[in-house]
Amino acid sequence: MLSRELIGDVLQKAVSTGADFAEVFAEHTKSNAVNMIDGKVETITDNYLSGVGVRVYKGLRSAYASTSDTSRAGLMRCADNAAQAIASGSAQMDIVLTERRFGDIHPVRIVPASVPASRKAELLRLGCQAAREYHESISQVQGTLLDVDHSVLIANTEGLLTEDRQIRTRMMVSAVASRAGENQSGICSPGRRMGLEMFEEIDPASVGREAARQAVTMLSAGYCPAGKMTVAIENGFGGVIFHEACGHSLEATSVAMGKSQFAGKLGQQIANPKVTAIDDGTIPNAWGSINIDDEGNPSQRNVLIENGVLKSYLIDRLNGKRMGMAPTGSARRQSYLYEPTSRMTNTYIANGPDKNEEIIASIENGLYCRHMGGGSVNPVTGEFNFAVTEGYLIRDGKICEPVRGASLIGKGSEILMDIDMVGQNLDHGQGMCGSLSGSIPTNVGQPLIRVSSITVGGR
Amino acid sequence: MNYDAFKAAVAEAAAKMGIGEYELYYMSEESISVSAHQHEVNRFSSSVNGGACFRCIADGKMGYASTELLDEEQASAIVSRAVDNARTVESEDAVFIHGAGDSYRETAAQDIPLPAAGEMISFILDCQDKAYAADPRVCDGTSSQFVAERVTTRLTNSKGLDLKNISSFQGGIVGAVLEQDGQKYNYYDYRAGSAGGIDRAELVQSAVSKAAATIGAEVAKSGKVPVVFDPEVMADFLAIFCPVFSADQAQKGLSLLKGMEGEEIAAPVLTLMDDPFYPGCTVQAGFDAEGVATSTKAVIEDGVLKTLLHNLKTAAKDGRRSTGNACKASYAASVSVAPYSFYVKPGALSREELFAKAGDGIYLTEVSGGHAGANAITGDFSLQSSGFLIEGGKITKALRGFTVAGNFYELLKAVSAIGSDLKFGLPSGSTVFGAPSVLVRELSIAGK
Repeated sequence: MLSRELIGDVLQKAVSTGADFAEVFAEHTKSNAVNMIDGKVETITDNYLSGVGVRVYKGLRSAYASTSDTSRAGLMRCADNAAQAIASGSAQMDIVLTERRFGDIHPVRIVPASVPASRKAELLRLGCQAAREYHESISQVQGTLLDVDHSVLIANTEGLLTEDRQIRTRMMVSAVASRAGENQSGICSPGRRMGLEMFEEIDPASVGREAARQAVTMLSAGYCPAGKMTVAIENGFGGVIFHEACGHSLEATSVAMGKSQFAGKLGQQIANPKVTAIDDGTIPNAWGSINIDDEGNPSQRNVLIENGVLKSYLIDRLNGKRMGMAPTGSARRQSYLYEPTSRMTNTYIANGPDKNEEIIASIENGLYCRHMGGGSVNPVTGEFNFAVTEGYLIRDGKICEPVRGASLIGKGSEILMDIDMVGQNLDHGQGMCGSLSGSIPTNVGQPLIRVSSITVGGR
Repeated sequence: MNYDAFKAAVAEAAAKMGIGEYELYYMSEESISVSAHQHEVNRFSSSVNGGACFRCIADGKMGYASTELLDEEQASAIVSRAVDNARTVESEDAVFIHGAGDSYRETAAQDIPLPAAGEMISFILDCQDKAYAADPRVCDGTSSQFVAERVTTRLTNSKGLDLKNISSFQGGIVGAVLEQDGQKYNYYDYRAGSAGGIDRAELVQSAVSKAAATIGAEVAKSGKVPVVFDPEVMADFLAIFCPVFSADQAQKGLSLLKGMEGEEIAAPVLTLMDDPFYPGCTVQAGFDAEGVATSTKAVIEDGVLKTLLHNLKTAAKDGRRSTGNACKASYAASVSVAPYSFYVKPGALSREELFAKAGDGIYLTEVSGGHAGANAITGDFSLQSSGFLIEGGKITKALRGFTVAGNFYELLKAVSAIGSDLKFGLPSGSTVFGAPSVLVRELSIAGK
């Protein structure tokens, strides 16, 4: 991507005013999106992203400069911007770059960029058609097939020089069901860190059917009642509860600045003993997986909470310095435009001791959340929210009629203690997580869990 | 190579491939942001980036291709990729490259150079000092940030258009964190303007006192009550539900406002404006993402839907003229629809008069998770909220840990009074949402 000589010169320029560390991050990203509406390809957009970010530290201060001008002059100007922002002295450093190869644990058999758009359109059509044919009330189906081919190079003044290529594929089908001037929507959007062979594992038609099923189910649902309830949250994307209620507050971005409710709580019981939570970027071909993080450290499996006890945070290099702790392979960024920081990869609550049937049977009056939407959290107060896109009332231990328009709100530190039953059907769901360093692919996951009491927003 | 050389190389490649109708759209952005933690600068970032999108009509279909790398190879590569992409498109909608002949209104001066780093640094350090001095409960975690950006947009097409717009934004953000009895409370506040122009003491005081006001907040009681929306919350709602005013969404059956032009869709007190030239706004535009001249218009006037927002394609489908609202979410995105300064026209009442009218209800100052807890297709929302209890027409205590639920289409009709305190949010792309305080007759609250 860049010659060793040029990288060395850029790093030298970046530390020329006295920084103690400099890093170069270069990126070439090809992305392609086929959009279908009404069964016809509506647009195809593709983009070739190309740029470089230069980061420097002095003590606990950092400066970052980025540019899409990747000529030698453009890169030297970019490094100089970072250097001028961090210090004003004059210095030189011995930089010996040694190339490191960490290997690829996410094999790709069908590189999407090598497949014609018409073949991608056919895959997407299978999904959209299945949604349209699911039920007569389906009034609109939209679909997108997205593929991203992201090549990165990372080098720093400690001598690291490494590269990685990350290929991801995702299909999204959204269906709208209509009756008497009313719309309800459903969405299904599986993704993998692999190529088009993803559709050997996931039938495109099943993606469309699932989106349509949700929309049609919600069309006949009444509004969810409001108040405090016992809630059962289904596996897969239900894991967004841990992602919002706890995951973001364990990122060093929050912890190092004293902005987290879990700062200073390592070794303490912060969750119910049935809760073990893990962030694992090494799951082969999973949506949130990486080989190396965006500081060039190999990805790893981090046990965050074990039997309710806080074991680890997610730590990047700079915040690790502030905290006096080692990085955990968790530094991530959307693109060269962003300085990396600690982020999640594939985060999930592990299987627990309870039988799924027993969880439902234990609830006299409550809510069963089969599908969750996204959510958000304020890491300072720990207050989080997320949307229930497909919910059912539970009466006398049985799942009853569907309800719409519900959301769940609470406080992370309280909800973790209130997860009092953990089932055994762990599965993962795919999302895009937005934070300081941009929007990145992450998995959330869990088995069926029970929360003894939570505020349900309804009407 | 620079943009002008790239433009010439693209024109040559298009001619070689026999492409008659095309457009090259270029966007470049320079930005700087600095932030402070405790009493020192902890982050500085600067960026210069830009990219070009080529779109062309081949066999009656529109194809797109984009690149950030502006060189000879990419100049011909984006032309052939756009042609390939066009050949896979199946939509039978008419597509257009806009001709010359519009008269474009000048925007106010908005080419504001990026400030010197020193000026921004003294702004944030001063804000941090003032924040720690404002209240003894202010603690670490409190941060100040100053951001500045300048965006250049250029649009050149085969029909002779060659347009350029520069827009800028600068502003300061203070995130105050307060600690009392081991609990932390925070609030972010912002002001648009230059580092020298923003009243720092006022911004800091506002962030600190808003965070302090949430201390001791109680969970709201469940029920159906009148709700006064703070201007920022009302602007958030406009942002979340903005797609319902898009003709593109309506034509796709994703907005219930389809075919409702001329009908009363909101309370008669409500007028909703779209103004590409709103005075004082520094993200104005005289032309849209297809090169069509923009104009100021009422979208809802006295409760009646006057128009949806159109680009060339949606206007052709409805047999009318474009409203000049073509938009690209980024240079590489396909053309969609979006407003400019999109705001609820202010009324005559003060916020206190709205509280008096509400009687017993809730003053809503913050909602979270709009991307998840609200659905623009159905209009339903159920959002995590905080605010204040209104009793006997006056604010009595702080509330948090509750949700506000309802439906946006019903909310438009349930607006019963509008305040005079119009405020705009931070720009999101080329759109800025604004609103005054608004009284809504009744919404569902879920708390204790």
